[in-house]
Amino acid sequence: MIVISTSSERRRLNKLILPLQQGPDLTLGQFLKTVGECCPQTAYAVKLRLHEMADGELKDMEYFFATLPTPFRAIDSEAYKTSVVGLFMRHMLLAYNKLSFSQVYKLYKALQQYYHSQFAQPGVSPVGIPGLAADNTDMDLTSTEDTMGERMEKDELDTTPLHESDLRNEDAPSRGPLSQKQAEYFLARQAYLLKNDENKALKPAALQDELNNMLKFNPDFAEAHYLSYLNSMRVQDIFISTHSLLHYFDRLILSGSEGKSNGDEGYGRSLRYAALNLAALHCRFGHYQQADLALQEAIRIAQESNDHVCLQHCLSWLYTLEQMKGSDSSVLTEDSVKMAAHFCLPYLASLGIQSLVQQGAVQGKTAHELMDAMKETDILHWKHSLSELIDISLAQTTSIWRMYGKSTMAQQQAQLLLNMSSLEQVNFGVHQNNTEAFAVILCHLAELHAEQGLYGAVSEILKHLKDQFPPHTQHAKLWMLCDLKIQFDRAMNDGKYHLAEPHVTAIAALNKTEGLYRKALVLKALNRTTEAYSILQRLQLYCEKTKYTEMIIRVMLATAELHWESSGFATALPLLLQALSLARQHHLQALASETILHLAFTQLMLGVPDQALGVLHEAMEPVLAHGAVMDKGRALLLAARCQVTIAGAQPDCQRHAALSLAAQTLGEAAAYFSMLDCKERLRDVHYLQARLHHTLGQTAERNKCAMLFRLLDQELPAPGAAVAMRL
Amino acid sequence: ILQVQSVLKVLVTVFCSCYHPFGDLVQIKKQLISVISLCKERGLVHSVKWASELAFALDPLPKNELPPPAIFTEEDCQDLDAFGLAKSYFDLKEYDRAAYFLRGCRSQKAYFLYMYSRYLSGEKKKDDETVDSLGPLEKGQVRNEALRELRVELSKKHSAGELDGFALYLYGVVLRKLDLLKEAVDVFVEATHALPLHWGAWLELCNLITNIEMLKALSLPDCWIKDFFMAHMYTELQMIKEALQKYQSLIEAGFSKSTYIISQIAVAYHNIRDIDQALALFNELREQDPFRIENMDTFSNLLYVRSMKPELSYLAHNLVEIDKYRVETCCVIGNYYSLRSQHEKAALYFQRALKLNPRCLGAWTLMGHEYMEMKNTSAAIQAYRHAIEVNKRDYRAWYGLGQTYEILKMPFYCLYYYRKAHQLRPNDSRMLVALGESYEKLSQQVEAKKCYWRAYSVGDVERMALLKLAKLHEQLNESDDAAQCYIIYIQDIFSCGEQLEHAEVSTALRYLGQYYFKNKHYDEASLCAQRCCDYNDAREEGKALLRQISQVRDQTETSSTDLFGPLSSNNTPVRRVSPLDLSSFTP
Repeated sequence: MIVISTSSERRRLNKLILPLQQGPDLTLGQFLKTVGECCPQTAYAVKLRLHEMADGELKDMEYFFATLPTPFRAIDSEAYKTSVVGLFMRHMLLAYNKLSFSQVYKLYKALQQYYHSQFAQPGVSPVGIPGLAADNTDMDLTSTEDTMGERMEKDELDTTPLHESDLRNEDAPSRGPLSQKQAEYFLARQAYLLKNDENKALKPAALQDELNNMLKFNPDFAEAHYLSYLNSMRVQDIFISTHSLLHYFDRLILSGSEGKSNGDEGYGRSLRYAALNLAALHCRFGHYQQADLALQEAIRIAQESNDHVCLQHCLSWLYTLEQMKGSDSSVLTEDSVKMAAHFCLPYLASLGIQSLVQQGAVQGKTAHELMDAMKETDILHWKHSLSELIDISLAQTTSIWRMYGKSTMAQQQAQLLLNMSSLEQVNFGVHQNNTEAFAVILCHLAELHAEQGLYGAVSEILKHLKDQFPPHTQHAKLWMLCDLKIQFDRAMNDGKYHLAEPHVTAIAALNKTEGLYRKALVLKALNRTTEAYSILQRLQLYCEKTKYTEMIIRVMLATAELHWESSGFATALPLLLQALSLARQHHLQALASETILHLAFTQLMLGVPDQALGVLHEAMEPVLAHGAVMDKGRALLLAARCQVTIAGAQPDCQRHAALSLAAQTLGEAAAYFSMLDCKERLRDVHYLQARLHHTLGQTAERNKCAMLFRLLDQELPAPGAAVAMRL
Repeated sequence: ILQVQSVLKVLVTVFCSCYHPFGDLVQIKKQLISVISLCKERGLVHSVKWASELAFALDPLPKNELPPPAIFTEEDCQDLDAFGLAKSYFDLKEYDRAAYFLRGCRSQKAYFLYMYSRYLSGEKKKDDETVDSLGPLEKGQVRNEALRELRVELSKKHSAGELDGFALYLYGVVLRKLDLLKEAVDVFVEATHALPLHWGAWLELCNLITNIEMLKALSLPDCWIKDFFMAHMYTELQMIKEALQKYQSLIEAGFSKSTYIISQIAVAYHNIRDIDQALALFNELREQDPFRIENMDTFSNLLYVRSMKPELSYLAHNLVEIDKYRVETCCVIGNYYSLRSQHEKAALYFQRALKLNPRCLGAWTLMGHEYMEMKNTSAAIQAYRHAIEVNKRDYRAWYGLGQTYEILKMPFYCLYYYRKAHQLRPNDSRMLVALGESYEKLSQQVEAKKCYWRAYSVGDVERMALLKLAKLHEQLNESDDAAQCYIIYIQDIFSCGEQLEHAEVSTALRYLGQYYFKNKHYDEASLCAQRCCDYNDAREEGKALLRQISQVRDQTETSSTDLFGPLSSNNTPVRRVSPLDLSSFTP
C-alpha cells in the first residue's frame, strides 16, 4: 500500500473516501486532480500503478487483484477488512472473482480505454493540466456539441470526407454509454434544476436529446421517462408528457413488483400514484373534467387498498381541483386537514390550512383568526422544516396584509421572504427561488412600489421576474398580469386613455373579471357612460355570485362615480354606504378608506362640507399611513376643497386662517401629485391654489401658481371631466 | 470493376426491357436463375431462398434456354482462389478469417464478401457479448463495433460511385443499424435501381417505410419484382384490400404455384380476421410444403382463435419434429399450451422464443396475454411495453396494456392505451368497443354511445357494440333509440347465421316486447313475446307478457264493445291471437 506521509494528508484523504465512493464516476483527470489536491504523492502513485496496468498486459491487472487481499489481515492497516475502504475492496474483489475470462478481458480493455482516453489525446501530455483535459472527455454532459465535433474531427478527419451533420449523428451514440451513476447524477441534477431554477437547467430540446440518448442505451431507465415528462411540461407538450408519464409508471410497476411482490406496498402503490399523477397532469393543462375522472380513479383504487396516505393526497388534490373550478370547497378542505392531522402528514395538513386561510380571507373571516391559524402552521413548518410551506406562508401573509390594505406590513413580510435563507440545502449552487411564492411576492412588491410612484424600482423588479420566470413557464402569468395592471394604472392616472385601452384586451386574456372591470373604467373615462354602466352591472352580478368581495366594492365605487357624472349624488350615497359596510366587514382597509373618500366627496357635493370633512378625517390617517401616493394626494385635495367650502360660510376673521390652512393642504397635495407626475390633477390643484392665493391677496404666490397652471394647461388638452366633478 | 458493372447494367436493361406485365415468364425465370447464382456466391442466403422458391414455382426451362454462367472478368480470375478460400471460411461462419484472406482482392464480388464478412463478424461478436457483459450497466450498450468503420469506407466508395447493387445493399444495412434511417432509405432505393432482383434490398426498404405517403414519394425501378414489393408493403401498412388485389394479379400472371404468395395471402387474410379463408390457405400451404416452419405461428394463432385443439396439437408435434429451436415452433407450442390453459408453460415457451430472437414482436405480445391470463399484471405490462419498444405500431400490445389496466380497474387510465390502439387501427371495432366500455364505466355516456355506434358502423366483429349501445340507451331511458338498436341487433344476429356464444337475443326480444307493449303495438309485442319463449332464460317473461297482452286486448275489446257495442256487434271481428297459437309466427 501507499505510505501516507503526514497526518493532515491522511485526514484529507479520509474525507475524500466517501464522496468518491458515493459520487458519480469521474474521469481519470478529475480523479487524479482531486486526489492530488489532498496528497500529491498518492496521486502520483495511483497514476504509476494505472500506467503499469494499462500499458502492460493482462497479467499486470491480475497481479494487482492478487495483491489486494493482503492488507485485510493487518489490523492497523487503512484497508482492514471492516474499514470503509476494506469493505469496498472486498466487494470489488468478490465481483472480480466472479468474472469469466472474457469478462476479465473486457474489464481490462475498459481500463485501458479509461486510462488512454485521458493521456492518449494529442496535445495533452501525460502530466499536463488534468482539469483542462477533463473538460474534453465525455463525462462532462453539458459540454457543447461543438467541442465534441472537434474531437471527432481530430480522430477521423484524415480518413473521412463526411459532412459535419453526419458527424454529429454519429457522435450522439458514441458518447452515449453513461454509467448508471453518471446517468443518475445527471437526472438528479437536471430534475433539481428544473424544480428550483429552470433557467439553469438544459434547454428543453437539448435535455430531451440527452434523455432520448440515454433511453436508447438503457430503455429500462424509468427515471429518464419521468424527467422527460417534466421537461415536456415545460414546453406545454401534452402529448409527450402524457406518454412519458405513463411509460414511467409502466416501468415503475415492474421494478416495484420485483422487490415486494404483489403486495400492498408493491406495484399497487405505484398504480395509485400513477392515476394521481395523471390527474395532476390534466389539472396542469386545465383539463378539469379529465383531471376529475383520473382523480376519482385514484381515490377508488386507494380506497380499495386502504391506502390512507394516498387518499389524503387525493383529497387535497380534490379540493384544489374544486377551487380551480371555482366552486366552494372549504368543507372538503376542512375534512382534508382533519384527516391529514390524524395520519400525521404535516405537509398536507398545513397545505390544507393554508388553503383554508386563503378561502377564509376571501370570505371575510376575522383577521385574528386567520393570523392565528397562520402562526400555528408556521410553528408546524419550522418544526418539520418544510421550507416550501414557509415560503408559501410568508407569501400568503403578504397577500393578506395587502388585501387588508396594510402596505407596510405587506412590504415587510415580502422582504422577509426575499432575505430569508432557505432551509433547504443548496445543491448545485442554486437556491430555490422560482416557486409560486416568490413570484407572488415579487408581484406584490412591484405593485407596492408602483403605488408609491417608484417606477424605476418597479421596472427592475419586473425585469427580474421576467428573467426568473420566462414567459413560457407556469407562473409567468402572475407577473404578466401585474405588469399590465401597473401600466394600465399609470396610463389612467396620466389621463392617456388611448394608451390604457390596448392593455384592457391583454388583461382580459389573463384574467377575465379584471379585464372587464378595467374596460368599464376606460369607458367611463371616455364618457361612454351607458356602456360602462351595463358592464359594471354585469360584473357586479357575476362577482356577487363568485363572492369576489374586493371586486364588488370596486365595482360599486365605479358605479358611484358614474352616478356623480350624471349629478346623481343622492343615488350614489346608498351604494357607497353599502360598499363601506362590505369593506369594513371584510376588513379591507384600503378599500374602506377609498369608499370614505368617495363618501366625503358626495357629501361635499350635496352641500354638507362639515360632515364631509368629519368623515374624511376618519380616512385620512390610514390613507396617509398605507395608501398609494395617488390616494394621499386625492385625500388632501378633497380635504382642501372641504376646508375652502367651510371657510366660505365662516366669518371673515376665521376665514383667512381657514383659507391659508386650505392653501397649505393644497400644497401638500400638489407635492404628492408631482411625485407621480400626474399633470391633470396638478393643473386642478394649481388652479385652486391660484384662486386661494388671490382671495388671500398673496399676489406673488398667486402669480406663480397661475403660471404653473398656464404651463400645464397649454400642454394638456381641454379637461375631459369638469374639474369639480371629480374626486 | 467497370466490366462487372457493365455486365450488371446489361442484366438490368434486359430485366427492365422485358417488363411486360409478366408477359414473359421464361425471361423472369432466367433472371431468377441468374440472380440466384449471384446471391449464392455472395452468401446472401435469404435472398437465394426467396428467389429459388419463386423460380421453383415457374415451369422448368428447356436446356437451350438456360442462362449462360456469369462472365469472368480479369479481376475475378485473379481473386478466384482467395475468394474460394474466403467463401469456404465464410460458410463455416469464420468471418474474421474470411475477411483476412479477402483484404487484398479487387473484384466487386470479393469486395462485397470482404465487407459482408466484417459486418457479420461484428454482429456475431455483438451477440456473444450480450451474453457475458460485465453487468446490468452495460445492458443495451453493446454495439457492433465494426459498423462505424464499415460506414466510413463504404461512404467513401459510395460518393465515388464505385458500389454495385450488393455493396449498396450492405451500405444501407450498415446505415440502418446506425439508426441513420433517412440515408438508409435513399441507399436502399439506389440499391434496388442498381439490382432490382435482389429481394433483400426490397425487404429492408419495406422495414423502413412507415406510411403510405412515404411509399408514394419513392421512385422505384419499374420491374416485375416491384409488384411483389408493393403487395408486401400493403400488407405491412394494413392496406389489406390492395395487397390482396396485388397478390391475386400475381397469381393470375402465372405464379399460382408459389408458396410464398400463398403464405402472404394467408397472412393478409389473418390480418383482416377472415379466419376461414386464411385457414384454408394455410392448410393448402401445409400440403404443398409440409416441412415449412415460416408463418406457422400465424397459422397457430388462427387455430387458437378458432379453438381447434386437435389441429393445433398436430401442428405443434409436427413442428417440434422438424425443428424445435425455431421461434415459430416455440410460438406454436406456446399457443398450444395457452389453448390448453397451461399458461405458465405457454409463457415459458414464449420466453424461449424471445431468447432465440429478442426482436420477435409477436412473442412479446403473446407473452403479455399469457401473463394476463395468469393474473400477473405487472409482468404483462412489462411484456407489452417490450413489444411496443420493438414496434411502436403494434396495436395488439397497446390494446393489451389497455386491457391490463382495465383489469386493474383503472378505466380512465386505460383510455389512453385504447386510444393509441384505436389510432393504429381506426377501423377495428374491438378497440372502439373497449373504448366505449371504459367511457361507460366513467359515466361518460355520450362518448360511450359514439364509440359503440362507430364500432357498429365499421363492422363489428364480435357483434357486441349494438347490444351495448342498446343497453346504454335503455339506461338513459331513450327507449326509442334502444328499441331501434335492438331491432338492428336481432337482424344482425340472424343474418350472419352463426351461433354466437354470448348472443343475447333473448334480452333484446324481452325489451322489444315490453317496448311494443308500452307503446300499444300489441301485434309486434306478442310476436316478440312468443319468440322470447324460444329461449330458456326469457321463457317465463315471454309467457307473462303474452298473458298481459291478451288481458289488455280483452279489456279493450270489452270496452270497445261497451262503447261501440251496437255499431260493431258482429261485422268487425277483432283479430285475436290465442296464446297457444305460436306456430303461425315462428318463421
